[in-house]
Amino acid sequence: MLDNVGDHNEMGEEEEDIILSELPNDELVLQMHDDLYDGLKEDVVEGTTILLERGWSAEKVLSEALVGGMTIVGIDFRDGILFVPEVLLAANAMKGGMSILQPLLAETGAKPVGTMVIGTVKGDIHDIGKNLVGMMMEGAGFVVIDIGINNSVEDYLAALEKYQPDILGMSALLTTTMPYMKVVVNALVEHGLRDKYIVMVGGAPLNEEFADAVGADAYCRDAAEASTTAIRMVAEKRLACA
Amino acid sequence: MSERSGRRKSRGRDAKHADRKRNQMEVAAFIDRKIPYFDYLSTESLELIEHNADTVLEEIGIDFRDDPEALSLLKDAGADVEGERVRFPRGMCRSIIQASAPKEFTQFARNTERNVIIGGDRTVLVPSYGSPFVRDLDGGRRYATINDFENFVKLAYMAPGLHHSGGTICEPVDLPVNKRHFDMIYSHIKYSDKPFMGSVTHPDRAQDTVDMAKLVFGDEFVENNCVCISLINANSPMTFDATMLGAAKVYARHNQATMISPFILAGAMSPVTVAGTATQILAEALAGMAFVQIVKPGAPVVFGTFASAISMQSGAPTFGTPEPSMVMYAVGALARRLGVPFRSGGGLTASKVPDAQAAYESANTLQAAAMSGVNFMLHTAGWLEGGLSMSYEKFIMDCDQANMLAVLLKGADMSENGQAMDALREIGPGSHFLGSAHTQANFKTAFYRSTVADNNSFEQWQADGELDCAQRANAQWKQMLNDYVAPELDPAIDEALLEFISKRKGSFPDKEY
Repeated sequence: MLDNVGDHNEMGEEEEDIILSELPNDELVLQMHDDLYDGLKEDVVEGTTILLERGWSAEKVLSEALVGGMTIVGIDFRDGILFVPEVLLAANAMKGGMSILQPLLAETGAKPVGTMVIGTVKGDIHDIGKNLVGMMMEGAGFVVIDIGINNSVEDYLAALEKYQPDILGMSALLTTTMPYMKVVVNALVEHGLRDKYIVMVGGAPLNEEFADAVGADAYCRDAAEASTTAIRMVAEKRLACA
Repeated sequence: MSERSGRRKSRGRDAKHADRKRNQMEVAAFIDRKIPYFDYLSTESLELIEHNADTVLEEIGIDFRDDPEALSLLKDAGADVEGERVRFPRGMCRSIIQASAPKEFTQFARNTERNVIIGGDRTVLVPSYGSPFVRDLDGGRRYATINDFENFVKLAYMAPGLHHSGGTICEPVDLPVNKRHFDMIYSHIKYSDKPFMGSVTHPDRAQDTVDMAKLVFGDEFVENNCVCISLINANSPMTFDATMLGAAKVYARHNQATMISPFILAGAMSPVTVAGTATQILAEALAGMAFVQIVKPGAPVVFGTFASAISMQSGAPTFGTPEPSMVMYAVGALARRLGVPFRSGGGLTASKVPDAQAAYESANTLQAAAMSGVNFMLHTAGWLEGGLSMSYEKFIMDCDQANMLAVLLKGADMSENGQAMDALREIGPGSHFLGSAHTQANFKTAFYRSTVADNNSFEQWQADGELDCAQRANAQWKQMLNDYVAPELDPAIDEALLEFISKRKGSFPDKEY
């Protein structure tokens, strides 16, 4: 018998039936944190709807119920408690809630947590790591525009122009492609755009020193770190601009 | 789902933390091998070694020292006895063994869920045996005490990959030589419920072992079932001594298992070649196992082999080199051809500390032992310094290896789920499998997760304190001892054991021999 198989109650505890709509707000939010944690998309959608019906603003639902829950997911992913496929499920549940909130947020003109354009640099077609970062960022409430692999300076500039994100994220797996990040950053400087965006870089052969050398704002060692760093940097930048 | 009146509560973070803390290992009483054996030598080569071993037994013979009873038993059975030298007609030992020795047998534990089957396609992993010293990162190298012994019994009890409590896990040198066996056997019974090994350092101590086992299992049960297994070394080359023969007779007469183990440091105690060493091992083991069958037909016997080589520069034993692995592959095949269980292997190394040498050498010997079909793998965990030191950290590292051997020997899953065609169809080119239904259904158990390895990014490892493997293992054994909960033991049995020990200890003076 394997000990840790199955999501529900292999401990043989008493099963507990609950009805989300009967929970008071504070308990419902905590329950949604658990639902996000366990990747239960339909329950997160249901909880989001109930809170909106009770008169909560979309912003409040986003920050307290969804982002609050995903913050816990990020911490446990970093600490090796949650595994990649589980975080994927959690992020997917988050996206379920976001699909309801997004139109409402757009209507009120409220800013999302942040927007990011992310892509692998020219010459590099490796994207598993970049996909994980995108997934965690979405899980943290970001709008992520993934421009895929093998991106030239022109590709990056076009995407930045089109989507006007808070963050540009670049990744590379190869030591032969990672110097291209500097080419992109130099192009931003030439176009007078460097200060407009937060530039984050990542990938197995990188480190902090490399990120500094190419003129990026941050290097993050893994996807969980990337999302927490992104939240912090966007908040700092907005504060500085306010 | 929107129409439900209620639903199960999601379990959330606390439940996941509890899940992840619990052991991931499939807890089994022993390993049931599902993969083929690795034939290192051809059938012709094995036949040649068997022929040569019979020549050794017939022409050179084996010494049975200081045990007139043994000599007379062997003579009556048809051996040619000249002084203490015993020569066996070609084929005699083999036919005696094959007539009555069990191909496999069950060793009972006081918790029947821990019973082990020794022989056939099974592998039983057992802690290290016999070290006078212990070592840990905090205290360094020091003589072992009964406290260390108890600690290792507790750790072995808690290790899911170890199936047996072992025997003299380390030598409790703080206790008198002629009485420490009482405390060792008591520790195995009290602090573990896995099967254990008996004392062999004197026939009386073997008898004490049997008597204590009877207090646990009952007189009649012990006479009819194997409840302890004991290590009977040949004093290679080609010699058995009275101590070992005396203990072997006691155990055999009570139907308890013995492992007849030539102890070989090739180059010193056997010829320098693989074939020559395998020949000598086979001859010694055949003589010893036949002797046990003569004493008590049907008593369980195991074909043991401890194979190492020596450094020709210094004479010191070496481990993890290719030649002893070749010997192990050869002897494993010989044991299967004979039809008896095979003991060998372990995580052997000459290194003084749990470093890269220790890890390489141990991995070499553990993997080879698993592949060669070892049924009873003594020295699986803890071994350092050629067996002179029992290391707390190395024990934890070896347990991780032991867990992995179980996975390796289980073979590949070829079921429909194992074939994963649905995953291949779902994902196709250019995407990733992390979110596929098949991955979601299987990821928790798909890959063995090491208990001591660090696979994090450099920065994460740095943030965690830049610990090496031994340092991580150090924290683990301390945590385990802290979390240890003793298995229940009937208070009446406990009392009877303590009374027996106290009475026996009081009946003769302490001696240091």
